Amino acid sequence: MKYLSEYRDPAIARALIERIRRTATRPWTLMEVCGGQTHTIVRQGLDELLDGAVEMIHGPGCPVCVTPLEQIDKALALAARPDVIFTSFGDMLRVPGSDCDLQQVRARGGAVRVVYSPLDALELARRTPDKEVVFFAVGFETTAPANAMAVWRARELGVRNFSVLVSHVTVPPAITAILNAPDNRVQGFLAAGHVCAVMGWTEYEPIAEQYRVPIVVTGFEPMDILEGMLMAVDQLESGRHVVENQYVRSVRREGTVPARERVEDVFELADRNWRGIGEIPMSGLRLRKEFMEFDAERKFGVAGITVNEPAECRAGDVLTGRLKPPKCGAFGTRCTPEHPLGALMVSAEGACAAYYNLARHRMAEPQEVTA
Amino acid sequence: MCLGIPGRVVELHNDGGFPTGLVDFGGVRREVCLAYVAGEVALGDYVIVHVGFAISKVDEAEAKRTFEVLREMSRLDELEWIADAIEPSPGEPRDALSAGNGRPR
Amino acid sequence: MTAIAQSGLACPMPLPTADRVQLGHGSGGKLSAALIGGLFMRQLDNPALAQMGDGAVVTAGATDLVVSTDSFVVSPLEFPGGDIGSLAVHGTLNDVAMMGARPLCLTAGFVLEEGLPMATLERIVASMAQAARLAGIPIVAGDTKVVERGKADGLYVNTTGIGLLHPHCRPGPRGARAGDVVIVSGALARHGMAIMAAREGFNFESTITSDSACLVPLVDLLTASGVEVHVLRDPTRGGVASALNEIAAASHVAMVLEEEALPVPDNVRAACEMLGFDPLYVANEGVMLAIVPASDAARTLDALRSHPLGRDAVSIGRVTGSPPGTVILRTALGGTRIVDLLPGDQLPRIC
Repeated sequence: MKYLSEYRDPAIARALIERIRRTATRPWTLMEVCGGQTHTIVRQGLDELLDGAVEMIHGPGCPVCVTPLEQIDKALALAARPDVIFTSFGDMLRVPGSDCDLQQVRARGGAVRVVYSPLDALELARRTPDKEVVFFAVGFETTAPANAMAVWRARELGVRNFSVLVSHVTVPPAITAILNAPDNRVQGFLAAGHVCAVMGWTEYEPIAEQYRVPIVVTGFEPMDILEGMLMAVDQLESGRHVVENQYVRSVRREGTVPARERVEDVFELADRNWRGIGEIPMSGLRLRKEFMEFDAERKFGVAGITVNEPAECRAGDVLTGRLKPPKCGAFGTRCTPEHPLGALMVSAEGACAAYYNLARHRMAEPQEVTA
Repeated sequence: MCLGIPGRVVELHNDGGFPTGLVDFGGVRREVCLAYVAGEVALGDYVIVHVGFAISKVDEAEAKRTFEVLREMSRLDELEWIADAIEPSPGEPRDALSAGNGRPR
Repeated sequence: MTAIAQSGLACPMPLPTADRVQLGHGSGGKLSAALIGGLFMRQLDNPALAQMGDGAVVTAGATDLVVSTDSFVVSPLEFPGGDIGSLAVHGTLNDVAMMGARPLCLTAGFVLEEGLPMATLERIVASMAQAARLAGIPIVAGDTKVVERGKADGLYVNTTGIGLLHPHCRPGPRGARAGDVVIVSGALARHGMAIMAAREGFNFESTITSDSACLVPLVDLLTASGVEVHVLRDPTRGGVASALNEIAAASHVAMVLEEEALPVPDNVRAACEMLGFDPLYVANEGVMLAIVPASDAARTLDALRSHPLGRDAVSIGRVTGSPPGTVILRTALGGTRIVDLLPGDQLPRIC
């Protein structure tokens, strides 16, 4: 596939690895914020190949993992309603709520459908006027333009039986929260390439300056990530701390302006609870007043739901890089992809699932029960 | 945030003012909303598609330029390694890579 | 019943706390293994069933027979490259053949949904008839039931096959040995992605066609070639990854696969990229895995490649000793990762 496969070239990747090893005069600690980047790193064994030169701490870059428990529980309540067809991206189906997940609600008779695009959910609403279609609008800034457009179009087309359960989060406040933590070890960031394709990178410039950390906008293929790491290490070695762009083929400084405008039209910033981390002020999006008729929480009155997170799940520590998944006492024993205690073990991009499914054979002290 | 795949625009459609198009992803095709890149995208251009929306246009010139730089780097590294093996030198030469679009290396 | 071995993690695996059957229980992954091991085997256990192969060996006098059964619930009923009818014929013929057995006959049971168009049923049964005719295997018995509208996805089919076990070529899931080579007979992930692309709600146009095919001719070529076939398996639901995990666990061996060697067609890869799928876990219906001693690898490839169905046959990895029950993939970059059973189905993702 053009503009994808060539960025998996092994010879170039190996050269980049060599380059990183030669450039780093001491071990550096970087954080990648995007779940897709975490996936590539663990899947390709990049952290293994860079052992000693660069330590990668996996950040809270999986919107599925950080969707607050109360939003999952609201989703479950909505999906269980007989008049509702609950639509969602596939990732959300196995994320545990307080007592079950969307797949189990489906098993009990709820209408739950996976869609590829929010416009498919809108189309479903138009085709089934006797049902209410609710779409689980999760994601970072990458997905916000799509979700915004679905709501915009719904209003334009006069669709009355469509609504969204919003659970959007934004990246820069999370990075700031991590940098503000007293025990923070992260020295540089790989910023999420597709978030920045939409938003550009202007929001990261004050962060790089204030906290004196290099931030490199990075893509998702092995070559992208390695090049991003090299650029970050280069900055650290020479004492610089600016925002640089590795993902030049897809990202410009101003981002995609029409997308940002549509998000502005439909959403506004709000305080948001991040599952496992807690509340980060002004780190989420909610529908503006003019679009409230499309807000599923208001339409169906599911606002007040109490939550019950298993105390043992240490997602918060993993999400902020304090804890590597294999070191968690429940990893591989009480918490596995089949019986997940928290979202990080369910989502394909969750750090815990990534380690469990892909890399546990490399862990120094394996914790799983073996046959 | 992540699953954004590059594809080539092979058809342009207009659904009552709503710009969409058929995008080809190496053999698989899908209708994609082009509203966010409508002003800058023409047939044959590549776009990054996320959940059925084009979220940015691929800058093919940039892609080519930086890819060539990386390929050259990997070849130079091989040559350096060979040169070093013949005659070891202190510190390695840095490539004078051109600046532009946030890559001031 | 297609073979499901225990996962390498905990044996036997406890049933998850779910009090109801979920879709994941049918995916061929860990939930399936738990259901079969924890519920079915617990109730039905007997020596023939416990073999856990693609089919069971049953002895009648001096004759060793193989029996295998499979149910088909695919939606949509008709897809590029086939339909539920041809799938049902090929699937069970292949299960019998994977035991090294020569299929003798098939049965076919139908559950029809009230309201299914007759024209659809006609096409599907015609397709079954043609598949059976081409394979040279008769459908000798059958049954038909009709259920109320809404209680079957149009149509469900079960096929059962009986075969004659080969006198000495008797591959089985416990047959893999350290040093063996893992060979796949053709391009991967076509069936699963053809189905996905055709599913409502995804709206992909693609040129991907299911690879659904009868593998008996390939198996015949292998048994005639004198190769010492240790394991044969058609990697259907759960893909190559699930099949190899089951075999690794049953044989107490490990496997190392080479990512660069995996034969995935470009359009299939594109579809996988779009949905975030790993081709290793996607269903195949016209491809088989053959695990043979290293000394027989070249002869195996020659035999397979001499037939149109096997022309893309390629070696994808090796069997090693440990850690037992583990399948590892070596990436193009030289890193490694585990290829484990998934808990349930792969789900399309945004992340």
